[in-house]
Amino acid sequence: MIDAFTLPEWAALAPPLLLALTALVLFAYDSINPRSTNRPVLAGVAVVGALASLVTAVWFTLAGTGADGPDAGYDLWFVVGDSVTGTGAIDLFGGQLVVDQMALFFMIVVAVVTALVAVASYDYMAGHAYQAEYYSLLLLAATGMSTMAAANSLVTIFIALELASLPSYALVAILKDNRGSVEAGLKYFLIGALSSAIFVYGISLVYGATGHLQLEAIAEMIATGEADAYSGLLGLGIVMLIGGFAFKTASVPFHFWAPEAYEGAPAPIAAFLSSASKAAGFVILFRVFTTAFPLETTTAVIGLDWTIAFIILAIVTMTVGNFAAATQQNVKRMLAYSSVGHAGYALIGLAALTVDGGELVLGAAMMHLLVYGFMNTGAFLFVGLAEYWGVGRTFDAYNGLAARAPVACAALAVFMFSLAGIPPFGGFWSKYFLFTGALEAASANSALLLVAAALVVNSALSLYYYSRLVKAVWINDADPSLDRDFGGTPTGLYAAILFAAVMTVVLLPAFGPVADLAIDAASAVLVS
Amino acid sequence: METAFELAPAIVLLPLAAFVVALLFGNYMPKKGALAGIVATAGSLLLSLYVMAAVATGGQHQETYFTWAAGDAVSETGVPTIEFTFGTLLDPLSALMLVIVSLIAFLVHVFSLGYMNDEGETGLPRYYAELGLFTFSMLAFVIADNLLMAFMFFELVGLCSYLLIGFWFRTESAPSAAKKAFLVTRFGDYFFLLGVVAIGATFGTLAFQGDGSFVAAAGEAIDNGETLFGFGAETWVTITGLLVLGGVIGKSAQFPLHTWLPDAMEGPTTVSALIHAATMVAAGVYLVARMFGYYALSPTALGIIAFVGGFTALFAATMGVVKDDIKQVLAYSTISQYGYMMLGLGVGGYVAGVFHLMNHAFFKALLFLGAGAVIVLMHHEQDMWKMGGLKDKAPIVYYTFLAGALALAGIVPFSGFWSKDEILFDAIIVGLNEPIFLAAYAMGLLAVFFTGFYTFRMVFLTFHGEPRSDAARDPHPVSWNIKFPLLTLGVLALVAGIANLAPVYKLTGLEITYLEFWLDGQYGGYADLTYSAYGDTVPFGTDYIGSETITLLIAAGLGLGLAVGGAVFAMVLYNVPEPEPHTENLGSARTVLRSNYYQDEYQVWLAENLTLPLARAADRFDQTVIDGVVNGVSSVSLFGSGRMKRLQTGVVTNYAALLIVGFIVLLVVLGVLGGWFV
Repeated sequence: MIDAFTLPEWAALAPPLLLALTALVLFAYDSINPRSTNRPVLAGVAVVGALASLVTAVWFTLAGTGADGPDAGYDLWFVVGDSVTGTGAIDLFGGQLVVDQMALFFMIVVAVVTALVAVASYDYMAGHAYQAEYYSLLLLAATGMSTMAAANSLVTIFIALELASLPSYALVAILKDNRGSVEAGLKYFLIGALSSAIFVYGISLVYGATGHLQLEAIAEMIATGEADAYSGLLGLGIVMLIGGFAFKTASVPFHFWAPEAYEGAPAPIAAFLSSASKAAGFVILFRVFTTAFPLETTTAVIGLDWTIAFIILAIVTMTVGNFAAATQQNVKRMLAYSSVGHAGYALIGLAALTVDGGELVLGAAMMHLLVYGFMNTGAFLFVGLAEYWGVGRTFDAYNGLAARAPVACAALAVFMFSLAGIPPFGGFWSKYFLFTGALEAASANSALLLVAAALVVNSALSLYYYSRLVKAVWINDADPSLDRDFGGTPTGLYAAILFAAVMTVVLLPAFGPVADLAIDAASAVLVS
Repeated sequence: METAFELAPAIVLLPLAAFVVALLFGNYMPKKGALAGIVATAGSLLLSLYVMAAVATGGQHQETYFTWAAGDAVSETGVPTIEFTFGTLLDPLSALMLVIVSLIAFLVHVFSLGYMNDEGETGLPRYYAELGLFTFSMLAFVIADNLLMAFMFFELVGLCSYLLIGFWFRTESAPSAAKKAFLVTRFGDYFFLLGVVAIGATFGTLAFQGDGSFVAAAGEAIDNGETLFGFGAETWVTITGLLVLGGVIGKSAQFPLHTWLPDAMEGPTTVSALIHAATMVAAGVYLVARMFGYYALSPTALGIIAFVGGFTALFAATMGVVKDDIKQVLAYSTISQYGYMMLGLGVGGYVAGVFHLMNHAFFKALLFLGAGAVIVLMHHEQDMWKMGGLKDKAPIVYYTFLAGALALAGIVPFSGFWSKDEILFDAIIVGLNEPIFLAAYAMGLLAVFFTGFYTFRMVFLTFHGEPRSDAARDPHPVSWNIKFPLLTLGVLALVAGIANLAPVYKLTGLEITYLEFWLDGQYGGYADLTYSAYGDTVPFGTDYIGSETITLLIAAGLGLGLAVGGAVFAMVLYNVPEPEPHTENLGSARTVLRSNYYQDEYQVWLAENLTLPLARAADRFDQTVIDGVVNGVSSVSLFGSGRMKRLQTGVVTNYAALLIVGFIVLLVVLGVLGGWFV
């Protein structure tokens, strides 16, 4: 074995940097060749960029970048930092950014979803005027999300969050001839602005109470008791931060934008927002609350266990999302609300944290977000396929689609049953771990029993509306009076859907390593 | 030696492969999949013999292949974890059983060529596939090294017999018989499953063998006087043992769960041979032998086994006396003979019970295949009153069948005599020490007479006298594939007794007790699974009338005398050119016997008047209360869903307002809880 080639530490940021670079390449292409609709080149560049980001993130993960311990990772050709001896998390720019296992984990999620969306958009956005803008905005948003995974200071978090949000607003509204799209974009932007305001206010309060923006520094101030005098201020600041994250993760009551934005946006963008953007929201949520506000010391200062906030949010979010989804007639809207419901599930990861444990449940939430990245993206892309064929938006319009597209409909069944958490699909395992995690934590805080019960009730309810869709495509007969004219078979959309379906299934046998990785990542942030 | 043990899984997997091959390609193969089955079972037989040779040269083997679940559940005795595994346990008992099962399965496959293929049956690939699966299940059951694996394959055996009994599913009776077999044995298996769970929860292990076995753990618990689940250790062992025994009683067709077996004659006769001799029915008794160390800990359980066995032996034998269908007679003889095995095991006669299991496998397979040959000869006629005179038309069938009959009746020197005599001897010496067992012995002894009678009634009606129908006058010829299995088994029925001539040893000192040595681990095997280890545990003492020799002679004389008496009585009544149905003379007793003591009637009555109302009540509860709750939940959910949807008005200012209100509520709640506003 030759000695591994060691890259400088900043290279650990390669996944977001590659995304940013790709966005810039697209911009450059657009400025040289404006109004180009050369889709193969544009989509190709975007896909290559996303895949490059994915490959580097996976590579770093395998090489043990940012992992603790000398045995972390395999011997690979080149590594970042001195990971063979185990350097732990790589701090960059004075701790403003950090690359550790959790960051890489979410960079993978973001990159995978971006790649899928870019592939699917090739067909979906055919005949659209703003091709280069579309892909470069997509990549910019992805850069923001990828950076969110690594952000380690309230200021970088805010910048990254806005970097992710601003292109998203534009992307939702990119179908400029479509009233729904434009309206949804505006609503999204307004709610986003409001949430950002609350978020920034929260940042300022936390800064006021602790005098720091860098997360470890905040934790240190809290631990040393220097923030004791400002307990109320700090508490308000923390709740306001939660507000900002709740917007990004589409949690109740900051979820109002989601149904409209997902419905109005092009389907691949809906997939992108509901999977990658949500995951990115969660990663900073996890990081801020595990790093800056360690449970024990923070409770001592603010006089309140902040998991209570997440218990409330988790229960309310799950319930509102699933109940609102139950009777929707519009498929995309149903998926939008189900996506709100899933945010509630992932919130259990923080709700069930305890002073001396929680790796398992936090890891479970991370796993859930990974699996969700495939199954939910796939589901939205199926909607994109239906829109591509122009079959309409309601459940009734989907009746009998299986006769036309059995393969895609089989994939849809996989997504739906996985989303509902039915074995043997990936969604079952992550939900199962969340459930057991909540039950374990219930010994310390019996309110978690309520969370676990809500999880079960909502999962049961969700099976109702997910299976409705499966029934529509597989069992119900199409309305014979409809003379549907299907276009061809869009290769890109199909490829993305099938890949997502395969991953949803394959994640089951692969769940051992994935679970280990997620739990490792979770315990690393919990310890630090 | 190691090679033999490493190849052991192949014994099991070969028939499974045959199952797959026959199922998928049977239609395209010559003989419709029979060849795959024959090759596979022949391979299994050879490998089984190889394993047997390895055990005979001092080997034994236990290996866990696959742990499919492991958990941290503390058992009642304090074992912190439990594992559920698939593994093999190759010791004298399982090696012997492997040979028996694969031999019978092989012969049945060969015989099927004559019975099924040559007779132009349809659905043969399905038939051979199911035979393969059946053999696979039984072999896997035999080599199981733990109780749960045994249970799983026990169930699979039950499933396969369901499939095979119902092979002619287009008739009316076959599916019904198959269902009955399935349901009745399932009723017993329900208790078996409870027993498995109870044993697992109590001892934290389900292994049959070794220091970590539940047998060893149970022995330890009894020695330490532990209390398990509120019972004394011995009582608890009795309870769990009896729960497992529920499965045995169902599968081995012991009273009161024997009712499925006569109906199971609806399946092809080859299947009956396999079920009765080597698989389904044998599985129950084999299980008792497999975990004999556990039963040996509990005198109560042993006593119950002995009495169930003795009673069943007599009870079934009396019913066999009045049957007219040749297969029905054999069916009741099976129930009766398994009763003997249970009796033998119940009085601590481990070797005697296993010996009879082995001999019975040979002679009962022989008799069933012989009956199958008769059925072929008779153009598918099974009523013995329409037969007669086949002796001269088909001498090979006759003489082999006669060998089987002599073995079944227990006439010296045929194999059945030796094992039955040993069982009765074991029963009487225990009975002399503990008189209550004399009752069990008496039932077993009385059954000998009936056995001799019905066996020879069957032989005389079938083969002797004048032909009583056109078919009997002009029988259908049978070919080599029918004769070969008959001859093989005929020889075995005659000579298999040599394996254990215990009386000869006791009288002359000649050590012709190979089976006892074999099961005692003198060639190879685990020390805790030997006859002498069990003998130390079995809590019964023995006594003799005068000396051992005198007791032996009395017991053997009584047994043989009664058997010959029964046979002679049958000869007097039926070995005439034109036999009369003398059963008419029994009067009302005949009605009772022909109605099988109204066993079916009372079980149907129980089902109709107890289970059905109970099920109706449960159904009503389910329909009203449970469904009511479920429907209520769903309407509440849908109503709530409608309300939730209204939150989304489509007006962005409303959203902003709701967002802020929601956020402030959260803020205030948390602020008050945290005391931030003071």
